[in-house]
Amino acid sequence: MDQQPASVIDPVQRVRIWYALLLLVFGIFAVRVFYLQVIRYDYYKKAALSDQLKQYTVPAERGIITASLGGSSVPIVMNEKLYTLYADPTVVKNAEHVAAKLQPIIGGDAGAITKQLKTSDTRYVILKKKLTPAQSDKILAFKFPGVGTEEQDYRTYPQGTLASQLLGFVDNSGQGQYGVEQALNKQLQGKPGQLKAVTDINGIPLAASANNISTQPVKGDSIDLTIDVGMQAGLEKIIKAAQEQNKSQDVSAVVMDVRTGAIKAMANYPTYDPSDYQDVSDGSLFQNIAVTDPIEPGSITKLFTTAASLQKGVITPTTSFYDPGSWTIDGSKVSDVEEDHSTGQQTILSTLDKSLNTGATWMLMQLGDGRIDAQARSILYDYFSNHFMLGQATGVEQGNGEEASGYLPKPTDTGAGIDLTYANISFGQAYTATALQMVSALSSILNGGTYYQPQLVDQITDGNGTVTKVAPRVVKSNVISTQVSNDIISLMEQNNTNHIAEGFPYLNFGPNYAVGGKTGTAEIANPLGGYYSDRVNGTYMGFVGGNTPEYAIVVYNLQPTKYKGFAGAETGQPVFANIAHMLINDFGVTPKAK
Amino acid sequence: MTYSSTLAMGRQQGVSRGQNSVSFRVTDKRLGPVSNTIVLIVLACLLGLLYLTQVTKTNAYGYQINGLQQQQSKLQQQHEDLSVASAREQSLDRVANSATAQSMTPVAPSGSVN
Repeated sequence: MDQQPASVIDPVQRVRIWYALLLLVFGIFAVRVFYLQVIRYDYYKKAALSDQLKQYTVPAERGIITASLGGSSVPIVMNEKLYTLYADPTVVKNAEHVAAKLQPIIGGDAGAITKQLKTSDTRYVILKKKLTPAQSDKILAFKFPGVGTEEQDYRTYPQGTLASQLLGFVDNSGQGQYGVEQALNKQLQGKPGQLKAVTDINGIPLAASANNISTQPVKGDSIDLTIDVGMQAGLEKIIKAAQEQNKSQDVSAVVMDVRTGAIKAMANYPTYDPSDYQDVSDGSLFQNIAVTDPIEPGSITKLFTTAASLQKGVITPTTSFYDPGSWTIDGSKVSDVEEDHSTGQQTILSTLDKSLNTGATWMLMQLGDGRIDAQARSILYDYFSNHFMLGQATGVEQGNGEEASGYLPKPTDTGAGIDLTYANISFGQAYTATALQMVSALSSILNGGTYYQPQLVDQITDGNGTVTKVAPRVVKSNVISTQVSNDIISLMEQNNTNHIAEGFPYLNFGPNYAVGGKTGTAEIANPLGGYYSDRVNGTYMGFVGGNTPEYAIVVYNLQPTKYKGFAGAETGQPVFANIAHMLINDFGVTPKAK
Repeated sequence: MTYSSTLAMGRQQGVSRGQNSVSFRVTDKRLGPVSNTIVLIVLACLLGLLYLTQVTKTNAYGYQINGLQQQQSKLQQQHEDLSVASAREQSLDRVANSATAQSMTPVAPSGSVN
C-alpha cells in the first residue's frame, strides 16, 4: 500500500497559495500605484511639471523711429542684437592662450584680458560688450571652456548722433529715457508674449502637450517723426560751428513749419552719442535744452509786445512816439542797452530795429491808460499767456515731465514792483520761455493767428502695419488777426532789410524770398540778485518764406564769450542767417510768385 | 438573453416527448469572460499603441516646428542685420564722405543770392 509523505502539499493547495501570494503582491502594487497616482496625484503632477514645464517671456520688439529724408522715410533708431562676451574664470584653462586667441577678435590688450580671465573672486567677468554675430560665432568656434556669449538687444543709430537729445535713449532695463523714447515708451515697447510649454530635456517644446500656451509678442509701434533728416543734420552742423566760434555754453535752435506746428529740426550743441550714453559723465547733456531750459529771451519778445499792441489797436505799424531815452518805473530807470541812441521821435520799426527797451515799454503803456497800470499788465499777460501760450508747457512729445513751462509773473500787484516787472517783460526780461515756446508763439503770429501744438510725431504704425497719421492740433485760433499777422511779417522783413544796410550783408536773401527777424541780447539773472554784468544770451527769432512764411526759426546762443558788439546781432543773427540760407538753398522754400 | 439562446430555446420547444428525432444542441456563440477580458486588453493595448504613435508623431512635428521656428528667427535676424547695415550705408555722414561726394564740385547757391 502506497503511503504519501506527510510533508507533501496537495498541488492544488500549492497553486492556490502561490495564487494568493501573487494576488497579494499585485494587491500591494495596486494599492501603491493607487496611492501614487490618485491620492498623491497633485503632488507628483506638480513635481513633474516643474521639471518639464518651461515658461518664457518673449520680449516684444521695440518699435523703430523714422524721419523723412528726400521725400521718403528713413530709420534713425533701429534695433540690433549684439553679443556680450563673458567668462567664468574658475573654468577657464590656460588664460594666456585664451586671451591670445580672443584679442585679435575683440581688440584691446591681451594682458588685460588674461588678468580678467584669472580673476579669482568671481565666476562671471564681462570681457567685451556689443560684439557682432560674426565675432560671437568666431569666439564660440574655439569652444573654450568657461567662455561664452550672450545675446542682448540694443538700440542702434544709423545716423550717429543725429537728434540724440530729441530722441533720448533706451536704458539697460529696456526703458526709454529722455526725449521721444521716454515720452512714447509705452507705445514703442509693445507687448511681450508668453511661451509656456512642456519641453524635452533640451528645453525644446513638445507639441503634444495640452499645457502648452503660446502668446505671440506684439511688436511696438513705429514712430515717424516730423523731423527732416537733412535739415536736422544741417542745423546741427550750423549750431556746432557757432558754439565753437562763439565759445558759448550751449547753442539751441528750432525750425518749425508755421502752417502745421510740425518741428522740422530741433538741436542743441554740445550733444552726446546715444549709443554710448553710459559713458556720458555730464547728465545735463541728455536734456533737450530747447525744451527743458527756459531763459529770459530778451528783445525778441518785442515782437510779441508789438503784436499785442497792434491787435489792441493802440498802435499801428507806422505810429511814431517821443522816446525820452529812459523811463522811471517803480523808482527804477528803464533804458536801452544801446546807450548812445539819441532821444526823440521813434517809430515801431525803429523800436524793433534799434531794439529800444523804451519803445517796448511805451507800447505797454499804451495798453493801459498811457502808463503801466493794472489794465496794461492784464492785457499783456492775457496775450502772453492765453494767446502766445507762454508760461505753460506745450505738450510736445518729449520725456515725461521733461518739458519746462517757463515762468510768467501774474499781473496782480503784490507791491513788489510789478510795473517794473511788466516793463521788463515787454522787452524780454523778468519772464522765461524755452526756444520751443518762442518758436510756437512766433508761428501762431506768422500763420495768421493759429497756435498749433508743437508736434514731433507725424504718424504711428502699429505692429499690424496700420498707419495712423497725427493731425496738427489747434490749441488756439484767432491768436491775432490776419492784418496784425501781415503787419508783423512786414515789420520783421523791414527790420531784416535795415540790418543788411547796417552792415550785415549775409542777411541778403534776394528778392525772391521773404525773410525777417528780430535780435535779442538777454541779460542773465544772478541767483544772488540782479543780473550778471558779464554774461548775456544771444537770441534771434525769424522766419523764411515766399509769399507767406514757411518756417519759423528761433536761436538761443547761451553765454557766448567770443564776439564783439551785441550778442543778439553777433551770435544769434548769424546762426539764423545760416539756417535761412540752408532752408532756401536745400529745402525748397517756395519763392514769391512773380 | 441573447438572440442565439432565444433561437435555441424556440427550436427545442418544437420537439415533443418520445418523438424519434435526432436531438441537437445549438452551440453557444457567446464569448466567455476570459475571452472578453483578453479582447478588451488587446483593444486597450491597440488603443494605447495608437495613442503613443500619434503622440510620438506629434512630438516629432514639434521638433520640426521648433527647427523651422529657429530658422525663421535666424532669417529674421539676418534681415534685421541687413536693414541696419543698409541704413548705416545710407547715413548722411557716410554719403558725404563717400568718394562720389568728395569728387563733387561745390556750386554757388543761386536761390538766395540773386
